[in-house]
Amino acid sequence: MATKQSIQKAYIDYVLTEGEQPKSVYIFAKKNKMTEAEFYNFFGSFDAIEQSVWTDMATTTLAEIKTQEVWPQYTSREKALSFFYSFFEHAKSHRSFATYSAKKINKGFSTPKVWEGLKAEFEAFSIVILQDGIESGELTDRKFFAERYKDALWVQFVFTLNFWINDMSSGFEKTDEAIEKGINVTFDLFQRSPIDNLIDYGKFLAKNSGIKEKMGF
Amino acid sequence: MVHGLKNMSDQQKEQNSIPTTKVQRSAKFVSTGFKIGGNYIKHYSKKLFNPELNNDELNSDNAADIYESLSELKGSALKVAQMLSMDKNLLPKAYVDKFSLSQYNAPPLSGPLIVQTFRKLFGKTPEQIYDKFELRSTNAASIGQVHRAELKGKKLAVKIQYPGVGDSISSDLKLVKPFAFRLLGMSEKELDIYMNEVEERLLEETDYDLEVRRSIEFSEACANLNNVVFPKYFPELSGKRVITMSWLEGVHLKEFLQTNPSQELRNQIGQALWDFYNFQQHELRAVHADPHPGNFLITPEGKLGVIDFGCIKEMPDDFYYPFFSTTSSDLLESKEETIKAFRQLEMILPKDNPQQVEFYYTMYKEMIGLFAKPYVKDTFDFSQSEFFDKLYAYGEKIAKMPEFKQARGVKHFIYVNRTNFGLYNILHELKAEVKTDTYKPHVLLEY
Repeated sequence: MATKQSIQKAYIDYVLTEGEQPKSVYIFAKKNKMTEAEFYNFFGSFDAIEQSVWTDMATTTLAEIKTQEVWPQYTSREKALSFFYSFFEHAKSHRSFATYSAKKINKGFSTPKVWEGLKAEFEAFSIVILQDGIESGELTDRKFFAERYKDALWVQFVFTLNFWINDMSSGFEKTDEAIEKGINVTFDLFQRSPIDNLIDYGKFLAKNSGIKEKMGF
Repeated sequence: MVHGLKNMSDQQKEQNSIPTTKVQRSAKFVSTGFKIGGNYIKHYSKKLFNPELNNDELNSDNAADIYESLSELKGSALKVAQMLSMDKNLLPKAYVDKFSLSQYNAPPLSGPLIVQTFRKLFGKTPEQIYDKFELRSTNAASIGQVHRAELKGKKLAVKIQYPGVGDSISSDLKLVKPFAFRLLGMSEKELDIYMNEVEERLLEETDYDLEVRRSIEFSEACANLNNVVFPKYFPELSGKRVITMSWLEGVHLKEFLQTNPSQELRNQIGQALWDFYNFQQHELRAVHADPHPGNFLITPEGKLGVIDFGCIKEMPDDFYYPFFSTTSSDLLESKEETIKAFRQLEMILPKDNPQQVEFYYTMYKEMIGLFAKPYVKDTFDFSQSEFFDKLYAYGEKIAKMPEFKQARGVKHFIYVNRTNFGLYNILHELKAEVKTDTYKPHVLLEY
């Protein structure tokens, strides 16, 4: 009896051995001794399998990090770091597949289909930690921008993923460095910074020093 | 109270960004170069109006700028800063004061990165390995940080290294070079010999597997010394970037001195330090070459705790004998043999003419005479400032002499000087009087 996992496994095995997707669902199903109907019970296409593997990597990571005893004590920054580290630690065992799948992706602005589920998981997670961070005062709530924080994190995630795929250092130590430094910079930007104070001061002056009148606004 | 160097909360300046790529790092150094240039302009324009002005302010401005850029770079550059600061005999005082700060500054690793480091090394999280593990470290060292942990009722100290430290050492040292030129006034070729020596030691320091092996070796070899204690090391809980050892209770030198300890207690600690170093130098011929105060603790029982064996300098015979024999007045009596020893140490070079030989002989004899003062009688009182003033004065004097523009002496001097002057400085701060005949140099009278 085929299961979601057994189909994923058979599919990964196939693409990594053959270097390409099976010609048709019919051939794939026959080779793995299941009916086409069984296959379609779980997935609508081969891309759907790939998508599910990526999505599962995110869900497993999330489930795993949340069981860590320290999780509730983490700040938003640390929660993001923890996700990144665990994701890539976990991804190590799927590295061949990840490389195969990611290299197929056309570089463009829209999110590739196979990452849609992954992105959804990641975003849901980002929104929660960012919201928590804003509520606790760790991060600054800025008009317009605060809603875009999650996109910044996703961009960083994709960047790190590409970095990891090209990382040849032992134990992927460089990726660890990229995560530590990258997330810290991003979260530094999310925090209250001199720019906020500058804008605030500017607003104050505009209201109270009569600049508007003098400059003829 | 604790291991490591200092409380992060009172870090001098919070570091939010570390320049990562080589280009960025270079940019950092370039901007420092500009600033120093600026300092000189400032200095000389002031001097136009006030010819009396001495170099102190200039030196201190320069040191502050170099320090600022080094401490933003972290890692190995920081180590070089530390090293320069230990060599008080080489650098004017103002540089030294600023550089000493670098011994106490480093940004912390994030909690998740610590968890990640453990998972990579042991396949487990710290909380799965220890019964208790404090994720927030209160103490930083220049290439890592220390955490408290507990296992089976035993208190532990866990030292964790920043990732990528080893990688950046060589490139950092290349970046430090131009500054070393300026500070030490050496040519590139001479500097290379010394820089390679420093690089070698620094790379060893990043190898925690090696550090654990050596720590065990040295703590066993030194086990019989009076009033010196070592943590117990746990190789099975240590690895490439983690060291687990038992927690030593105690305070650092500075805090110890604030408690106004009795002369007797200060002497006891001073004696322990003296014995620890001289036993290693003269009996083991390999020495803990990082005598900065952060590596020691003074326990509540008044013992000296040694907590870091990252930097070990081994002394080959062809360095040990000529150098330490010159500390004995028996050898110094024979000018001929002394010159031979100096030649072996490359303090006098084959191409030197007779006047130069005479000149360097006199200068180095004076230096060694100063260095060996503590060895001359069986006790030495390190509290007297006179001895140190003479040392500094000598250092400043030769720093101004064109004859010493060129570096002399074999590469081993860097760490051996750093060790011994570091030791003298700590003893001076302790104001200790110690028996200096406990472990004496082995002397060879003919060369």
